[in-house]
Amino acid sequence: MNLHAQTTRTAAEAALIDSFAARISDLPGDAETTVHRDDALELLKAGLPTRRVEAWHYTDLRRLLSTVPAYRFESSAAQVAPLIDRAELLPVLNGAANTQRGGISGVAVSRLADRLIEGDLTSKLGVADPYDTVAAINAAFVSDGYCLEIEDGAQIDRPVEFQNVHAGGQVHSRFAVKAGAGSKATIVERQTGSEEALVSSVSHLDVAEGAEVLWIVLQEQPDTVSHLAQFTATLGKDAKLTLFIMNAGGKLVRQEVRVTADGEGSSFRLRGVNLLAGETHCDVTMVLDHLAPDTFSTETIRNIVTGKAEGVFQGQIRVARDAQKTDAKMACNTLLLSDEGSFSAKPELEIFADDVACGHGATVTEIEADHLFYLMARGIDEKTARGLLVKAFLAEVIEELEDEAVIEALEKKLDAWFVEHG
Amino acid sequence: MPAVQETIDQVRSIDVDQYKYGFETLIESDLAPKGLNEDIIRFISAKKEEPEWMTQWRLKAFERWKSMEEPTWARVNYPKIDFQDLHYYAAPKNQTGPKSLDEVDPELLRTYEKLGIPLREQEILAGVRKQGEPSTLDENPSDNVYSSGRVAVDAVFDSVSVVTTFKKELAKAGVIFCSISEAIREHPELVQKYLGSVVPVSDNFYATLNSAVFTDGSFVYVPKGVRCPMELSTYFRINEKNTGQFERTLIIADEGAYVSYLEGCTAPQRDENQLHAAVVELIALDDAEIKYSTVQNWYPGDSQGKGGIYNFVTKRGDCRGRNSKISWTQVETGSAITWKYPSCILRGDNSRGEFYSIAVSNGHQQIDSGTKMLHLGKNTSSRIISKGISAGNSQNTYRGQVSAHRKAANARNFTQCDSLLIGNDCGAHTVPYIEAKNATAQFEHEATTSKISEDQLFYVMQRGIPEEEAIALIVNGFVKDVIQELPMEFAVEAQKLIGISLEGSVG
Repeated sequence: MNLHAQTTRTAAEAALIDSFAARISDLPGDAETTVHRDDALELLKAGLPTRRVEAWHYTDLRRLLSTVPAYRFESSAAQVAPLIDRAELLPVLNGAANTQRGGISGVAVSRLADRLIEGDLTSKLGVADPYDTVAAINAAFVSDGYCLEIEDGAQIDRPVEFQNVHAGGQVHSRFAVKAGAGSKATIVERQTGSEEALVSSVSHLDVAEGAEVLWIVLQEQPDTVSHLAQFTATLGKDAKLTLFIMNAGGKLVRQEVRVTADGEGSSFRLRGVNLLAGETHCDVTMVLDHLAPDTFSTETIRNIVTGKAEGVFQGQIRVARDAQKTDAKMACNTLLLSDEGSFSAKPELEIFADDVACGHGATVTEIEADHLFYLMARGIDEKTARGLLVKAFLAEVIEELEDEAVIEALEKKLDAWFVEHG
Repeated sequence: MPAVQETIDQVRSIDVDQYKYGFETLIESDLAPKGLNEDIIRFISAKKEEPEWMTQWRLKAFERWKSMEEPTWARVNYPKIDFQDLHYYAAPKNQTGPKSLDEVDPELLRTYEKLGIPLREQEILAGVRKQGEPSTLDENPSDNVYSSGRVAVDAVFDSVSVVTTFKKELAKAGVIFCSISEAIREHPELVQKYLGSVVPVSDNFYATLNSAVFTDGSFVYVPKGVRCPMELSTYFRINEKNTGQFERTLIIADEGAYVSYLEGCTAPQRDENQLHAAVVELIALDDAEIKYSTVQNWYPGDSQGKGGIYNFVTKRGDCRGRNSKISWTQVETGSAITWKYPSCILRGDNSRGEFYSIAVSNGHQQIDSGTKMLHLGKNTSSRIISKGISAGNSQNTYRGQVSAHRKAANARNFTQCDSLLIGNDCGAHTVPYIEAKNATAQFEHEATTSKISEDQLFYVMQRGIPEEEAIALIVNGFVKDVIQELPMEFAVEAQKLIGISLEGSVG
C-alpha cells in the first residue's frame, strides 16, 4: 500500500532534481559524502511521500510542496537579534556559515562544510527509511552549518545560538552537537528569513552520560516558506534533554523529532507551542524510542489554530522489551479557534515491556465557556478574556522551562505573535 | 507496574490451548469447487436462488475486487492468502431452507446443543425446558452466552443459515428476522434499498470480496415505532475445511425503532488457517436505536500459532436519522488475526455512537481493532472505551479514528483506551487518529486513568481505599455500568473478562 506508483513528477519534484544537477559540483564533501548525496537523490527521484505513507498521512508532501524556488545567491541575509542577549551567535547566512568568529570556552566549534570535506560526518548523512524525506533532501543539498563538541564536564553559561537565516531561494543547513559527559549547555536554533524559500535543516545531538542540554527551536519563517526540519538526539546514561519547539510562521512546516533514549536513567522532555495562523500547514512529528530501563519522558504540545491553518501532531512512543520501568507521558492539547482551521493528532504508543507506565492524551476543544464566563463576570470584555485564556494556555508550557531569561524571551515572542495576529 | 496475579490467572483460563469449541461436526457437505471466478459467483447466486439484480451486483463487486490490493497498513503479519485455494461455498447436504426443525439434520442440532445455542424454541415455549435451565447435552452451561433468556437465533453453519427461531412471534410485531438469502428473495425492495448503502461495494479489499461471494448472514428490519420484543442473535459456525466464510448482515431500524442484536462465533480446531470476511451494515433512521454486541470466539490457533481463523471484518453503522443511536460492544478473545473496526457514521443531527471493546490476545494471536467515529451532523456525540490485554506472544493494537467535519457543530467525543501486558513477549499498541475541522468540536482522548475526576477519587479515597484501588474501582465501575446495559445473554461470557482488573495498565 505504501509504495505508490507515480507516473509523472510534480513541478516541485522536477525542480528538486534539476537543482541537484545544477548544485552538486559546488556542494562540499569527500567522495563518500557524494555517494550519500547521490543515494538521497535516488530516494527523491522515487517521488515525494503522499498521505498513503503512514508517516506522512496528514502532510501530503507531494501535494503541499507545490513549488521549489531556484537558489538565489545574489541576495544576502543578515543575522538577527539573539533570543537571549548574552548568547554566543553562530549564524548560517543564506546557507554559508561564518568563517570569522571568536571561540567559546569549553566548546570546539567547526564549520560543517569543512567536516564534510574531511569526511567525518558521512555516517550522519544516511536516511532511516524510504520515507525519511526531510533527511534525504538535506543530505542531498546540505551546504553548511556548525559542529560543536562540548568538553566533558564543561558548564557553558552563555547560550549558544545557531541562526539559519535566508533571503529567499533554497537553504539546506545542518548542525551537530556533542555534549560531553557531565556537561551542561543551552542551545538555541533560530529558523527565519525573508522571501519565498525552501529550507531544510537537520540537527544532531548526542548527550553523553550525565550531561544536560536545553535545546530551543524557534521557527519564524515568513508565510511563503516551506520549512522541512529534523531534530535527532541520542541520550546516554542519566543524560537529560529538554527540547522546546516554537513554531510561529511558515507556509508548510514539517518539524520531525527523533529521540533515542538508549542510556539507562536518561530523561527527555519535549515542550511545544505551535501558533498557527493564515494558511499555514504545520506538522510536528515525533518518534521516541525508549531502549533502556528506567528511562523517563514527558511531552506536552499546545497548539492554537486560527484562520485557515492546518495543524498536525504525530507522536509515537516506542518502548522496547528491555526498557522496563519506563515512564512516558504524552499530551497534545489544541485550541481550535476557527471553523476554517483544522487539527489532526495521532498520539501513538507501541509497547513491548510489561512493567511500564505510559500514557497519552489528546484534546481538541475551543475555549471553555466556564472560564470565559468567569473572566467576563469580572468586567473583562470577551476579546480580552479570550486573549488572556489563550495566552495562559500557551504560557503554561513555556513556564515549565526553569531558566528565567529563556522564559522571558519566549513569552516576548508569544506576545509579539499575538500583536501581529490579533 | 506488572499485572496482578488474579488477572494473569483469568487470562490464562481463556488461553488458546483452553479452546472449548474446537470439535468438528462430521456431516456431509455440498462444496463448491475451490477457486474464485465468475462461474463460482453465479454458482453461489444460483444456489441461493437469487434474482438477476443480485447476481449482477455480485459480479460487479468481483470485477472491482480483481483490481484491488490487500491492505497492509494494519499491524498484523500473515503469509499471503491464496484466494484461489478456498471453497467459497460449503453447506450441509440437503439443508438449504428446511421448513421446520424436524427437517434439520440431527447431527447439526447436536452441534448447536453442544455449543449451547437453543434452536428448540418449542421446548422453551412448551415449558419442557425452563428458561435458563441447561439442556442435557449442554456441557458447559454456565459459560454460555445463550443459556438463559429468550433469544431469537439465526444459526449459520458454514455458508448457509440452518434455521431461524421465533420467526412467527417476531412477525406478529412486524419485525423481519431471517437469513439474508431469504430476505433477498422475500424482501427485495428493502435489500435493494439498503444493501451496500453503508459499506459501499468498493469500500475495501475484504468488503468487496464479501460483496462478490457472501453466502449467508442475517437480515433484520424493525418497522416504525416498534421495540423489538426479544433479543435477536446470529450464531456463526465454520465447520468445513479450507472454506472461507463470508457473512453479510444488514440491520435496519426504522423511525423510532429499537433492536438489540448479538452475534457469536466459533470454529473447529484445525492446523490450517481459515478465512472469515464479514460485512455488517446497520442503519438507524430518526430516533431509532441499534445495539450490536459480539462475542467473538473463533478458533485462535494452537499455542505454537498454528491454525486459527483470519477474521477480516468490516462493520459499520449509519446513524442516518436525527437522534439516532448505534452502539457496538465487542468481546474479542478468538481468531488468529483480527482486523476489525466497527464504526459509526454520525450523519443525523444529535445522533450518538458508542464503542465498547474488550480484546484479549493470547498465544500467537494478532489483533488490530478499534473503531471510527465520523461526526458529520450537528450536536453528535460519541464514546469509545477500549480495553486491550495481551499475553503470550500476542500483539494487540487499538486503532481508532475520530473526526469532525466542517459542519459537525458541537461534536463531542470521549475516548479511553487502556492496555495491559502480561509477560515479556507480547506487545500492546495504541494508534488513535484525531481529526477536528470544527471549532466547536470537543475531543478528548485518554489512555491514562488521570482523567478520572478528582472529586470521585477523593470520595473513594477518603473511605480509606488506597489511590490505585480507588482508580481501578472507578474505571472498572464505569465499564461495568456499560456492560450492565447489555443483554443478559451476553453477560456471562463478558463478565469473566470484565472482572479482569486493569491494574498495572501500561497506557
